[in-house]
Amino acid sequence: MLTAFAQAFRTPDLRKKLLFTLGVIALFRLGSQLPTPGVDTQAINTCLEPALDEGGIYGLINLFSGGALLQLAVFALGIMPYITASIIIQLLVVVIPRLETLKKEGQAGTAKLTQYTRYLTIALAILQSTALIAIARQPGRLLQGCDLPLIHDVGAFGIITMVSIMTAGTAVIMWLGELITDRGVGNGMSVLIFTQIAATFPQQLWQIKVVEGWFVFIVVCGAGLVLVAAVVFVEQAQRRIPVQYAKRMIGRRMYGGTSTYIPLKVNQAGIIPVIFASSLLYLPALATQIGDPTSQWAIWIQKYFTRGDHPIYMLTFFVLIVFFAFFYVAITFNPTELADNMKKYGGFIPGIRAGRPTEEYLDYVLNRITTAGAIYLGVIALIPMVAIGVLGSSATQQFPFGGASILIIVGVGLDTVKQIQSQLQQRNYEGFLR
Amino acid sequence: METAFQILLLMTSMLIVLLVLLHKGKGGGLSDLFGGGVSSSLGGSSIAERNLDRITYIVMIVWSASCIGLLLLLKE
Repeated sequence: MLTAFAQAFRTPDLRKKLLFTLGVIALFRLGSQLPTPGVDTQAINTCLEPALDEGGIYGLINLFSGGALLQLAVFALGIMPYITASIIIQLLVVVIPRLETLKKEGQAGTAKLTQYTRYLTIALAILQSTALIAIARQPGRLLQGCDLPLIHDVGAFGIITMVSIMTAGTAVIMWLGELITDRGVGNGMSVLIFTQIAATFPQQLWQIKVVEGWFVFIVVCGAGLVLVAAVVFVEQAQRRIPVQYAKRMIGRRMYGGTSTYIPLKVNQAGIIPVIFASSLLYLPALATQIGDPTSQWAIWIQKYFTRGDHPIYMLTFFVLIVFFAFFYVAITFNPTELADNMKKYGGFIPGIRAGRPTEEYLDYVLNRITTAGAIYLGVIALIPMVAIGVLGSSATQQFPFGGASILIIVGVGLDTVKQIQSQLQQRNYEGFLR
Repeated sequence: METAFQILLLMTSMLIVLLVLLHKGKGGGLSDLFGGGVSSSLGGSSIAERNLDRITYIVMIVWSASCIGLLLLLKE
């Protein structure tokens, strides 16, 4: 493993990519720490401690932004607008026929969809930064239980400047992510999410030691390691459907006759369902922040949807995850197309006729395997919430080995390592994973 | 002085948003996100794209410098 790592750095091509990625990550973290001009950093620092202990609605979102959100940093919004925009576009593809035809067009259509997603990201960034600053403007709203003013200049011009800085920050993040995808290692957006979560990780872990003592700290670490191992195990799991290709004579040469398999991952959807579900669940809480906090519906939402330890919240979270798991698999994996392609190239699954029966078989297997995968995702994501409910202490509100963060860290880590490995294999065959 | 910085920031922010949007999106949509697999990064970027990159770098440097400058000004 270590020699492979050294090898990766000895390969000039790969070294350049790795260093580039690290540089972008460093820049990204820098921007997440840099406060937006006009924000009173001292007031925020004094207010942040009690607000984080309280937990509150921003826990997960703050986690995704690596602590940048509550510090009102330049990169406060992080990648959330891009994720939300992606969700919206993906959902619209199903609903609006014009977008659907674009998607079916192939590469050119997908590029156009990406462009729409980018425009929508900027629109959302403007919206969210305005909302965030509007909340921060009133003392005691963003960081509850603290009456210090967080912003120096509450005039219109100062506010507009701050909004435009945050919007530009989001655009920069989007670009940095694309740069990583293009010239670095791994998928840019996921690497950036990974960075933000990994950045808050040690701090939260240490918080547990400070509050609960060494014993709980060691137990939590051990539990976390076991969980990571289990998650890696399931992430790698796949069902292999055998495919036999018929031998064909074209001219004087023989083609085909090979037998391969279609790998169907147990967790085909990856971590997207978790991210989607948590960002959707954050919306009602956001609505109460913007609207009147004393009205009836706001109180109802605050009662049931702002704290992770309420059963209704957990149930909704679970149902949403399962739904998005199926939704995502349905979008990305098309049995009809696969069956058609197999028929075209003379392939078949042993014991099943080509064409429609194959399609039905694939659909059947996929449904069953996704059911298991979706339930697994939901259970993993619920672990921290259940732990909070059982332990009943407020300090574990930000359980560091939270399901979402573990899933993302392991998922992105595996993906990136696999990509490095495949590039390494172009030169020699020993890799990280055996 | 402060207002000058603010105006500079406002303009560079808008420029950044514009420049980033002018880029061809390479991050891929959702299917790329966490989907795994090596994304197609075939083909180098064109000269126009490279120039766009260069301009974006410069504007970003000006933007961040004025950001830090305004921060220091407000601290005093």
